[in-house]
Amino acid sequence: MSDTIIKVENVSKKYEIFHQKKERSDSLVGALTGGIKSIFDRGSVQKSKEDFWALKDINFEIKKGDRVGVIGRNGAGKSTLLKILSRIVKPTTGRIEFEGRMASLLEVGTGFHGDLSGRENIYLNGSILGMTKREIDARFDEIVDFAEVEKFLDTPVKKYSSGMYVRLAFAVAANLEPDILVVDEVLAVGDAQFQRKCIGKMEDVSNKEGRTILFVSHNMGAVQNLCNKGLFLQNGRSINYGNISEVIKEYLEVGNTISSSVFTFESQANYGKSKAYFSRIEFRDEAGNLCSDFPVGENIHIHMQFICSSKMEGTVLGFGILSSTELPIVTTWTNPENFKEGLNEVVFTFDKIQLVPGIYKLAVGISRGNESVDFNSNLVFFNISDILKMPEAARLVNTSSGVLLNQFPYKIIS
Amino acid sequence: MKTIITSSDRSFLNISELRKYGGLFKYLSLRDVFVRYKQTWLGFGWSVIRPLINIVIFGGLSYLVDRSQNFKERFVMVSAGIVFWQLLSTTLNDVSNSLTSNANILTKVYFPKLILPLSNILVCVIDFLIAFALYLLVFFWFKGLPPWQIIFLPLVIFYGLVFCFSIGLIIATASVKYRDVKFILPFLIQILFYASPVFLSSTFVLGLNIPAWLKMLYQLNPLVFILNAFKYCFFGQFESFDPLYIGLSFVITLLVLFFAIRYFLNFEKSFADYI
Repeated sequence: MSDTIIKVENVSKKYEIFHQKKERSDSLVGALTGGIKSIFDRGSVQKSKEDFWALKDINFEIKKGDRVGVIGRNGAGKSTLLKILSRIVKPTTGRIEFEGRMASLLEVGTGFHGDLSGRENIYLNGSILGMTKREIDARFDEIVDFAEVEKFLDTPVKKYSSGMYVRLAFAVAANLEPDILVVDEVLAVGDAQFQRKCIGKMEDVSNKEGRTILFVSHNMGAVQNLCNKGLFLQNGRSINYGNISEVIKEYLEVGNTISSSVFTFESQANYGKSKAYFSRIEFRDEAGNLCSDFPVGENIHIHMQFICSSKMEGTVLGFGILSSTELPIVTTWTNPENFKEGLNEVVFTFDKIQLVPGIYKLAVGISRGNESVDFNSNLVFFNISDILKMPEAARLVNTSSGVLLNQFPYKIIS
Repeated sequence: MKTIITSSDRSFLNISELRKYGGLFKYLSLRDVFVRYKQTWLGFGWSVIRPLINIVIFGGLSYLVDRSQNFKERFVMVSAGIVFWQLLSTTLNDVSNSLTSNANILTKVYFPKLILPLSNILVCVIDFLIAFALYLLVFFWFKGLPPWQIIFLPLVIFYGLVFCFSIGLIIATASVKYRDVKFILPFLIQILFYASPVFLSSTFVLGLNIPAWLKMLYQLNPLVFILNAFKYCFFGQFESFDPLYIGLSFVITLLVLFFAIRYFLNFEKSFADYI
């Protein structure tokens, strides 16, 4: 077909991982002596090196105007794929063809320089993203408008608040006019309102101008809204490529039924950066055992561990439960409490849970007054399963029956 | 327009693509110019003060070591060398660091990477022009109008830039993988300072009682010809003019340039994997 805009054939990417005993030589002498040693000592050197396939035999085609959501757990190869597509790293094998101009947005504000003013950074960043001066001139007002920074255009961006910085950076990128736009998880920064604005902008661009978009996100709601096709990657392999709803459904099933009962936060981007931050969340059943899969009607004990960098007074801990389609179901909070410096642990009990079997997500937060201290909505999942303990009638439920499982009392009155 | 991505290592010198990224080249160059003296009280005053300090130190030293000229002559001569050396050494230094210091851009966006080392040259040239303008005044004050040979000056400057850019490009490429280079670079620049006629004139060095092979090596350094040629433009006299070595220095420069570009292009596609 002639309307294929991207064609990916057998793309693989190999990284060599070096184990502790013999590290890859990052120095000239190391490379030299390593080379000499390897002549005498072939066996052990081979043992210390391992091939890691970040991507393996990926094949797909994207048609003009498609919006493809790339989903998968951390380390599935999503970012590697985008980096190969945007010609930052080269594939180990395979071949990719694409038509037209591609712009990639793997990070907001690439090349921003703190000492330059907002105005200067718009031109610098725009040119890094591949815009010509004329294109930037034409879009300049729109960029400034979108970013809401008119007043600070001539201030060095190092004096910007982090919100302003991100807004400006995204505004430049959002006004790119490539044929293909590649976007990595850049929306994870910024507040909810800003995220909506960005997604809205991308939808506009795609619908009105028929632009092709590749979008990586862990936010299934955003992916579902924006994309019409999905590519599900797991351990570097392509599991499914097709209609977005089906791919998301498969991702949630395959990706999360094996989910663990313990979630740690060290790998999160904002870990340790706020006054109080989550370190670990555990799910336990009535007997106190770790559990990730709760039968309907059981009590769930959610143990939240968080670290305060100093004594925190009047602080509220809360969480919300969302369905796999990002529908908020319930939110609960503690009263304002005083927490000590260091590790604190709070346990919430969710009594006799009455939710339709499926995967649920937890959004957890710490706040004080009006200030959100820590928030995470993309990491913690749990399962509701085992339909057996439900009342007979409730076994008829399916995903279209809603999320609350309840049999209302009734009387036959005539 | 169709783009094809394959697993091949080599990339080719694509002039038309480089020209398409002219805007990026311009803004990166301007960024370096704007940022160089940000938050300094003296600003571009530093482009005068840095060579000035060197002139005072090395002009004095040079007179102590070699009294074959009177102080005034020597001062004007050494200043010429140092002002030009400042351009050559900062170019070498900045080009060498151009890849590692822009790692954040290199790993996030596609563009012909040759833009990075190239865009570092402008700020060095601007620095040089400021110091050079001042030197012209000094020269005029002491010696009046320069001889007709001054017309060769742009050629000499260009030749010097090409040589230092080539060496810098090799170092920049190597430093993507081997950060050792960062530590070697200051020594290299220091050695070149003494091994080129910046403050020790080549007549003086060749007159020294040192082994013949060392003198040969010294003359093979293209910077010897480059710096002497710069002085020739101002004083109309060529120090230790030897057509054999001048020819050789041209050949060496061309070889270095050719090797630098080959080496760079061979690794260009792997930069993001190593940096």
